Amino acid sequence: MTISSAPLAGIRIADFTIHAAGPFCTHLLSQLGAECIKIESSTRPDAFRKPHAVYGRMTAATFDQVSANKLSIRLNLKKPEAIALAKRLVSISDIAAESFRPGVIKRLGLDFDALREVKRDIVMLSLSSCGQTGPDSSFAGYAPLFGAWGGLGAMSGYSDGPPVEMRHVMDHSAGLHAALATLAALNQRRRTGQAQYVDLAAREVASAMIGDALVVASQGLAPERPGNADPGMAPHGVYASAQPDRWLTLAVRNDAEWAALLQVLGVSDDDPRFRSMQGRIQHRAALDAQVQTWLATRDADQTAEQLQRAGVCAHVSWNMEDIASDPHLRERETVVPVSGPGIPERLAVGAPAKFSHTQDVGIRRLTPALGQDEDYVFGELLQLSSTQRRDLEAREVIC
Amino acid sequence: MQIDGSVNTGNLPLAGCRVIERSRSVAAAYAGRLLAVMGAEVTMLEPPGGSPLRQTAPLLPDGESALFAYLSVGKRSQVCDPSTEAGRKELASALEQADIFIDDTPVKDRASFGVDPASLGDRHPNLVHLSVLPFGSVGPKAHWEGEEVNLIHAGGEGFLLPNGLTHELFPDRPPLKIYGYFGSFQGGAMAALGAMAAWWAVPASGGQYVDIAVQDAVLAVGCFALQRLGDGSLEHRSTRSFRYGGVFETRTGYIELLTLEDRQWASLVELLGQPDWSQDPALKDPLERSRRGAEINQHIREWMAQNEADDVVQRAQKLGVPVGKYRQPEEVINGEQERARKLFAPATLCNGATAQMLVAPFQFHVTPLQGGGKVPAIGEHGGILS
Repeated sequence: MTISSAPLAGIRIADFTIHAAGPFCTHLLSQLGAECIKIESSTRPDAFRKPHAVYGRMTAATFDQVSANKLSIRLNLKKPEAIALAKRLVSISDIAAESFRPGVIKRLGLDFDALREVKRDIVMLSLSSCGQTGPDSSFAGYAPLFGAWGGLGAMSGYSDGPPVEMRHVMDHSAGLHAALATLAALNQRRRTGQAQYVDLAAREVASAMIGDALVVASQGLAPERPGNADPGMAPHGVYASAQPDRWLTLAVRNDAEWAALLQVLGVSDDDPRFRSMQGRIQHRAALDAQVQTWLATRDADQTAEQLQRAGVCAHVSWNMEDIASDPHLRERETVVPVSGPGIPERLAVGAPAKFSHTQDVGIRRLTPALGQDEDYVFGELLQLSSTQRRDLEAREVIC
Repeated sequence: MQIDGSVNTGNLPLAGCRVIERSRSVAAAYAGRLLAVMGAEVTMLEPPGGSPLRQTAPLLPDGESALFAYLSVGKRSQVCDPSTEAGRKELASALEQADIFIDDTPVKDRASFGVDPASLGDRHPNLVHLSVLPFGSVGPKAHWEGEEVNLIHAGGEGFLLPNGLTHELFPDRPPLKIYGYFGSFQGGAMAALGAMAAWWAVPASGGQYVDIAVQDAVLAVGCFALQRLGDGSLEHRSTRSFRYGGVFETRTGYIELLTLEDRQWASLVELLGQPDWSQDPALKDPLERSRRGAEINQHIREWMAQNEADDVVQRAQKLGVPVGKYRQPEEVINGEQERARKLFAPATLCNGATAQMLVAPFQFHVTPLQGGGKVPAIGEHGGILS
């Protein structure tokens, strides 16, 4: 099952993560070549295997991005024998990852100290809402709460409106940061031979996203919520075009780009307030109104192309259909077609990074059926006989 | 902390890793920042006038950039101008000793600056050359420029914001970006991940070129929307709201409430005091709750308006209801949870003042990160040959 030429070829992950943030971490590592063994049970399957009324999904998902590339086994972690098997799996793994509420993994007997006894140099990741320590560590939460706690939600929003709710990007940003920290620990293990325990709090990732504002606040100042504005650039924002709900994003960084913008739009601006960046920033509201008037009759896509040719930062606000049909993203294999038995071709997000020498990075297999890889994991890796496996199934250790 | 104010990195995860960083973008600088806090020796090669990020908002009253401070604490600074022959020699010399080279030089300038991937790979076979650009270095848009507002929309998330209460209140306003540099930070984090993976592979494969696009990273963390497209749903900010739950205003600020599981709904009803409307047997069905989400939210809004945020959070969490307060930055800095976890450490700004700086959004229990350190002045650590 080893991916021979990917950067993480030969690395094995015992993956106890559930929902979105933790599984995104291990999904990224699996795209980089790690062998990721997902551990669930029929009594506690991961969320994508169940209907999700909030999203209007009335059946299990046929494709789940963050589960792609993973192998699947069943272990009923309420049974001591299942815990013993989980430890055996960890003993032949490099990384163990979990995202239960703090305290659960210790109650199961699979905490860092326990795993280090079976694998002296294990790299363990625990990903949670608020971290493994501190007075809020038991708090339950989802992506919007991470953003709220961390300060990112309050800093995002219109200046005269409420805070803005973060969604899956917040989960996945937590998973991304967990992945890079886990890999750093793996590199450390190579140098020291020591185990490491990585403790990631998703709300702290949200705080890291406002690290600059926190520096401002630490000086006794109140950071401003800028909305779509940028304190150092004008015009800067999101503007309506001639097409309904087709918005043009624009960031003018200096006077030369301002001149280029005017040239592309075929307008001359005689307003002395707008001749310097300082003036444009000072009179931002009037400037935005003027720019909006100019752009309101233009085609957003054509204008973005023209502005980029003139060296001005512009891009249309893209929906997922735009992304799905973009030749650039297809050429980069960031958007890739995937298909499998019972899964008509669809699009997924491919390799997170492009490597010049180590190939085989990206999606190699789709969402696993529950327990589909037990012959390999229980049979080949853990050397359980068919009789033993049948017995464990009968006693609902494997179920 | 050592006597000279530098951080002792000896036992940190990336101790011994030497990184050269040429950054003009937040994404590239954030990649270096993440590596630096984990113990790598990260040296910024700044142009003679200093990194443009030193002038990037938000600025402190004396003009020092809070953004640059956040991105550069713990790094070293040397001046190097690869547009000159001497500068290119200095750069080549620096890369002789480096494990990772973070580089956001535009594609069109790379050959003239001596940093084109092919020749760098030939000269430094064990070097990880990490390219971090808005749209990557390969593909028809590799030459496109992009700032944060462009990139978060190019990756699909910008179009989907704001959702929930903000969209309900302002349905006709333009889409709204996330604060600051969220998309660029994803690009930087993805770059750090790519660098760590490539560095891990050096013994087996030697050094190599790693190509990171901020647009790709934004899409990666927004992959669920592409998954939804495959399921037949084109997401839009107007319909991406939770059917019930979301942002609520209390007497003392906003809170977020989200119940995805039946037991959480039952606990929410308990939190609300078992009001009559909640006793409708039909509401035991999650699908019925989704259908009547607007009605449920109206009841919750009325209740929240009578209560205080901190009190609601404490009571809700005791009952297992996922509720969190929308906290302001000063509340985060002074938060009990953050203090208990030592999320912040004192750092010295260029102006000599001390700031509480977020250490890192992850902890290593065996070898804890230290954080803090200094924000380097331009060229504080000299020219490379000097």
